[in-house]
Amino acid sequence: MGFSSSIPKHSRRRLPSPITCAWLTLLALSVASAMLTMMPIPSRLLGGGILILALAKSRIILAQYLDLATSPPWLRGFTMVLTGFAVVIFCLFLI
Amino acid sequence: MSDTSLIDELPGELLMWVLIISELLVFGAGMIAFMGVRLTDPVGFAEAQSHLHRTGAAFNTAVLVTSGYLAAQALHWRQAARRGAARLALIGAALLGVVFLIIKGTEYADKAAQGIGFETHPFFLFYYLLTGFHAAHVLAGVGILLLVSWRDDPRNIEAGAQFWHMVDLVWIMLFPVIYLLG
Repeated sequence: MGFSSSIPKHSRRRLPSPITCAWLTLLALSVASAMLTMMPIPSRLLGGGILILALAKSRIILAQYLDLATSPPWLRGFTMVLTGFAVVIFCLFLI
Repeated sequence: MSDTSLIDELPGELLMWVLIISELLVFGAGMIAFMGVRLTDPVGFAEAQSHLHRTGAAFNTAVLVTSGYLAAQALHWRQAARRGAARLALIGAALLGVVFLIIKGTEYADKAAQGIGFETHPFFLFYYLLTGFHAAHVLAGVGILLLVSWRDDPRNIEAGAQFWHMVDLVWIMLFPVIYLLG
C-alpha cells in the first residue's frame, strides 16, 4: 500500500519550494524597506531599519539562492562578515 | 573537521566563490569609502542624494531579485532534467537584467539632462563609480546567463547563476547605502 494514499487530500497540497518562498520574502522585505522610508521616523532609526532589512535580504540570497543553507558554517561566516559591514556603515551614518 | 572538508562544503566551483568574495570586498570597500567621504559634507551628500530616483531604484531591486529567482529555478529545473524550462528561465533572468539596465540608463540620462556629472559633487563621483561598476557586472551577467542557456550543462548553469546572485547581493547592499542613507 502506497504511503501517499494514507495522507488526507487537503494535506497533499504542494507547498511552495524554498526558492519560491525566498523570492516572495525578498519582495516583501523590499516593499517593507520602501514603506519604511515613507514613515515619519527619526533618521537614525530609519537608517538602522533599512540596514537590518538589507541584511535579512542578503542572508536569504546567500542561504537560498547561493545555496549556503546546505553549509551552515559558511552561511554563519558570510552572515557575520556582512553584519560587521552593516555595523561599520551604520556607525559612519551615525557620526 | 579539516579545512579541506570545509572548503568542499561550498556549493559549486571554489573559484566562483573566490570571485564572489573578491567582488563583495571591492564593493564593500567602495561603500565604506563613500560613507567615509560623506562625513566631510553630510548636508551636501543629503542634498545630492535627493536628486536620485528612489522609486526606480527600488523597482530595480524587485527586478533583480525576481531575475535571481529565475536563475535559481533554472538550476533546479536543469537538475530535474527539465531542460526547456531551465533555458526559458535563464533567458527570462537575462531579459530582466536588460530591464534593470534600461531603468539604470534612464536614470543616468536624467542626471545628464540635469547637468549632473562626475565632478558635480563627490557624492556623484561615488554614485557613478559604484552603480556604473555594478551595471557593468549586470551587463556581463546578462551575457553569462545567455551563454549558459545555450551551453546548458548543470555545472555551467550553477556557475552562471552564482555570478548572477553575487550581482544581486551587491545591489541589495548598494541600494540602501547610495539611495536611502541620506
